[in-house]
Amino acid sequence: MRKTGFLFDRRYLLHETGSYHPEVPERLEAVYRGIEKGGLLPKVKMVSASMADRKWIETVHDRVYIDRLNDACVSGQKVFDCPDNQMCSETFNTALLAVGGILDSIRLMMQGEIDNAFCAVRPPGHHAEHSEAMGFCYFNNVAIAARYLQMEWQIDRVGIIDFDVHHGNGTQHLFEKDATVFYYSIHQHPSFAFPGTGREFENGTATGYGYTKNTPVLPGQGDEEYKRLIQRDLEPAFESFKPDVILVSTGFDGHVDDDMSDICLSTQWYTWMMEQIRAMADRYSQGRLISVLEGGYSLARLPELACEHVKVLLDE
Amino acid sequence: MFVSKSMTRRVITIDKNAGIFEAYEKLKEHRIRHLPVVDADNRLIGMVTDRDIRSVMPYELFKDPDLQKIEKNAVAKMKIADVMTVKPVHISPFSTIQDALLLIEEQRIGALPVVDGDGRLKGIISVRDLLRAFTNVLGIGDPGTLLCILVDEKVGQLKKIVDAITEEGISFGSVLVGRYWDKGKRAVFPYVHTQNVAHIKRKLTQMGFTLLDPMEWCLDQLPTDE
Repeated sequence: MRKTGFLFDRRYLLHETGSYHPEVPERLEAVYRGIEKGGLLPKVKMVSASMADRKWIETVHDRVYIDRLNDACVSGQKVFDCPDNQMCSETFNTALLAVGGILDSIRLMMQGEIDNAFCAVRPPGHHAEHSEAMGFCYFNNVAIAARYLQMEWQIDRVGIIDFDVHHGNGTQHLFEKDATVFYYSIHQHPSFAFPGTGREFENGTATGYGYTKNTPVLPGQGDEEYKRLIQRDLEPAFESFKPDVILVSTGFDGHVDDDMSDICLSTQWYTWMMEQIRAMADRYSQGRLISVLEGGYSLARLPELACEHVKVLLDE
Repeated sequence: MFVSKSMTRRVITIDKNAGIFEAYEKLKEHRIRHLPVVDADNRLIGMVTDRDIRSVMPYELFKDPDLQKIEKNAVAKMKIADVMTVKPVHISPFSTIQDALLLIEEQRIGALPVVDGDGRLKGIISVRDLLRAFTNVLGIGDPGTLLCILVDEKVGQLKKIVDAITEEGISFGSVLVGRYWDKGKRAVFPYVHTQNVAHIKRKLTQMGFTLLDPMEWCLDQLPTDE
C-alpha cells in the first residue's frame, strides 16, 4: 500500500465548453464518482488546488500568450485560437488551478508526504504549444510540471509517458531540443487522428535528438498490439534514460467505447499500462510518479478507468 | 500553381567543358542529383545527373582511395559534354505544377530544368519540389483530423459534406476526392482542423453518409498487370 494523492477540486468544473463538445465538466464528476464508489476516498490523500504562480506558467509559455488568454476570458470570448477551444470567463482561472494543483501534488511527493498522485484536472494540457492553444488545451500542465521539478526540486531527468490516444504535440515541441526531458508517446497513427504529428521518425532535434520517441498505432488495434509496442519502444528507452521522476499524460480516449478514436483498448489494458509505469518508477525514480489527466470522453467508462488507475497507484 | 512559384531558383549548374570529378563534387556538396549544363549566356544546352556521373566512374573509385590516383587519369579526361543528355526535356516557368507532375511521370525523370522563351535557364523543379508543394496542398502541416466518406458519384455530394462541416464552424485543410473500388462511388477525404471529430462523424452518419473504416482507406489504386 502506498500513499497516493488524489487531486480533485470542484472549481475544475467551472471551465465550460458549450454545446457538442466532448471535454465537459461531467468527465471529472465521472472520475470522482468512480473513485468514490470504488471505496478509495478514505485510502487516498485528497489534494485541493491552489492558483499556480504565473512564473511557473512562464517557464513554458510566452508571456504575450498568457495575457492574450487572460484578456479573452475577461472580455467574454467563447472561443480561443480555434473552434475546438471553447471557453468561458472561468477558463483562465481554471487553467491556473489545474497547474497549481499539479505543482502542489509534486511538492507533497517531493516532501515525502505522498509517494505518487493522480491529478484529475481540467482543462487538459498536452496539445498546448508555447504560444498557441490547441485541442481543448490552454496551459501545458505536464510540461510546466517537468520544469517545476527541475527548477524547484533540482531534478535532473524527467521522463514523460503520454498514452492519450492523440499525440501530445505541445509537450513534444517544448522538449524536442532538450536531453533532460524524455518524451514518449503512444497514440493512434497521425495520418488517421488529430493532431497529425507524432510520426515514428520524430525523434527530437539538436541536442535533444534521441530523447523523443513516438509509437504510432494503426486504427482498429487493441490490447495485444499496444502491449507489444510498449515493450518494444518504451521499456528500452526508459531503461537507458533512467528518469528521476516520471510524469504521465493519462488519456483514456483509446478505450474501445470512446468515440474520439479508432483504437480499441480495454479497461484491463489501462490497468496493465499503469502497472508497467509503476514498476518503472520503482526501478528508476524511487517510485516518484505523477499522473495527470488529459483526454478520455466516455462518461460511461471514466468511473471504472479512474478507479482502476488509482488502485494501481495505491498498490493495494 | 505555376512552376515559377514552386521551382528552385538558385540552380547549381555546370559548364560542358568541366570534368567528371567537378560534377561529382558539386552533386555531393549540394546534396542534389541534377546539374543543368549552360553556356556563357545561361542558355540550357544539356543535363547531367548523378546516374550519368556514376555510370562512368569505376566502382573502385568510390571504394579505394589509392586506386583513385591511377584511375582518375582516365576518367579525368572525360568532359561533361561526353556524358550529358543533349536537348533535355524541360518546362516553362508559366507551366503549372500539374504539367510538371504529368511530364515527370511520363518521362520517368527526377527533375525538369525550367527554361524561358529565349532558352535561358530560370530554375529547376524536382520531384522533391513537387512533394513539398503537395504536402502544402494536403494541409498536413497544420493540426487536424482526416475523415473518409464514401459517396455516390453524383453532383452535389461534396457540397452537402462541406456545408455540414462548415456549419460547425470548422475549417478545412484540404478536401481530396479519391477513386474507390466500387463502381459509381467516390471516397471523399476532408482534412478538418478539429479534434472534435466524434460529433462530426455522428452528424454525417445521420445524414446518410457512410464513413469508411480507416484501414480500408485508399487514395489511389495501383495499376493492374493487364
